[in-house]
Amino acid sequence: MPVTESPPVAIRAHGLRKSFRVKDQAVEAVSGLDLTVAPGQIFGFLGPNGAGKTTTLRILTTLLPADAGEAFVAGADVIHYPQQVRRRIGYVGQLGGADGSATGLENLVLQARLYGLTAAQAHSRAAELIELFDLGPFASRTARTYSGGQRRRLEVALGILHRPQVLFLDEPTTGLDPQNRANLWEQVRQLRDGGTTVFLTTHYLDEADQLSDRLAIIDRGRVIAEGTPAQLKQRYSGDTITVTPVTSPDDLPALEHDLAAMPLIRSTRIQDGSIRLAVTDSTRSMAAVFAALAEKGIAVRAASLAQPSLDDVFLHETGRSLRDAGTPAGRPAAEQPTAEEVAA
Amino acid sequence: MTFALQSGLFFRRKLLETLRQPVWIITGLATPLLYLALFEPLLRSVAGGSGLPAGRVLDVFVPGILTLMAFGAGMGAGWVVIWELDSGVIERLRVTPASRFALLLGTVLRDVSMFVVPGIVVTGIAIGFGFTAHWAGLALMFGLLALFTAACSATSSALGIRLRQIGSLAAVVTGVQLPLTLLAGILLPLSLGPDWLRVLGLLNPMYYTVEAARDLAAGTITTTAVGTGFIVTAAAAALAQWWGTRSYQRAMA
Repeated sequence: MPVTESPPVAIRAHGLRKSFRVKDQAVEAVSGLDLTVAPGQIFGFLGPNGAGKTTTLRILTTLLPADAGEAFVAGADVIHYPQQVRRRIGYVGQLGGADGSATGLENLVLQARLYGLTAAQAHSRAAELIELFDLGPFASRTARTYSGGQRRRLEVALGILHRPQVLFLDEPTTGLDPQNRANLWEQVRQLRDGGTTVFLTTHYLDEADQLSDRLAIIDRGRVIAEGTPAQLKQRYSGDTITVTPVTSPDDLPALEHDLAAMPLIRSTRIQDGSIRLAVTDSTRSMAAVFAALAEKGIAVRAASLAQPSLDDVFLHETGRSLRDAGTPAGRPAAEQPTAEEVAA
Repeated sequence: MTFALQSGLFFRRKLLETLRQPVWIITGLATPLLYLALFEPLLRSVAGGSGLPAGRVLDVFVPGILTLMAFGAGMGAGWVVIWELDSGVIERLRVTPASRFALLLGTVLRDVSMFVVPGIVVTGIAIGFGFTAHWAGLALMFGLLALFTAACSATSSALGIRLRQIGSLAAVVTGVQLPLTLLAGILLPLSLGPDWLRVLGLLNPMYYTVEAARDLAAGTITTTAVGTGFIVTAAAAALAQWWGTRSYQRAMA
């Protein structure tokens, strides 16, 4: 009997490593990655391009062997029993994977039969998915004639056809227009509500923030922060109030000192003639700050309130902004191994 | 039986893909027919002598043409594989429990049928032109050339997966095609050439296939050349299936 792990853990990885050879130089795409994902949630995997997201996903989906470490997905050992993992997971890759020269229906029926359904079962399951994803009007056309949104729907349908316990989505909304993006988010939430664990990579901050129940931030091949979006934002930044009082710049330090002594204010800083206050409860703090200034007879020229973002978390951990992190020098396209690396 | 079922499913998928693009079937038939119509008369006029007796030009020429067809039917596989890597189809199928060998075999079986069916048409037309049919030999020859197609098809898929660029694949395939076919004596038997040419031919596995095909087409089944041809071609086919399957196991877009 294969060694399996019983749930409640949907994904567990420990010490995963993978390096590629790029021009005779070993580049580590995943460097000792640890990860635990509980079942029944949407788990976001956020990081800049080249951070190792896709490589990690490929290891977890049995596409790529790891150099070291261990991983269990849906209770099966990825390294030693990949065939067991394949039966329990669904995968929608960045490239999509719909066969353009086959019709939508043929794509679905073939996929169903590969998971062991009989011809009759395969057709009835395909019909269900055509209904669910609204593919009816074009199910008998070859997939190469589909629009981007239609194609993506077919691809997600292919990924969940066999009711996988864990669904992997690699940058699922890249290239989709806002409407299709919103639809996909909705479908992902419905899958989660139906008990499927969804693991998705993204480099969009808003996607990670709004869609994930929990998320891990990855940079240079390792997880640098993990938690619910709210926890992460609260832990590293909290809300920020910026007030610009009508005073001479010389009076600002004294004012800052007074404000810093108030409750709910975590830290203060003077920047460009304004005072920036990191606070715990933005609504109450804002009112308190205005009251304090009014008491001193100081007018306010401008005031603003900023919600914390996941980018603040990334910035705090790496010193870089996720928006411009991109692919750092020295890590050229580590997620896209070339033929030699694969053959090695 | 899962493996046979999966191979059948992948074969069906590939066959549908081909039938949706009938232009390939037509061009696949046009080349051998053009050879028959335009090159055979030329050959006939230079024939005479022991290596190529004037009355048996077609008997020598048709097995060569069929080998060329088998080569062409098999070597096209890599192009589609690259397209399927780029569109993520192979990656998707690799995450399913499907056998990688079945995945390879779907294309191999399609290519074999895309050799056998047009091959029969061309042979029929050649018989009309005066090609002498030895039925048992012909049947065995088609079996031999089906193995040869399987070798070419799996090799082309493996090359496509490893090279991953249409340009590189085209360079490799066209680069080996000419020396391989010339040194197999496809159009004219190497026995017409000088010793050094025949020695070079002995290093080419395809040479043994062509020699065996010629003997079989002539109705001589129990020659050494036939035995050697089957052994070499079957070994090449088996090796290519192994290489192709291994390539699919590691394929990465």
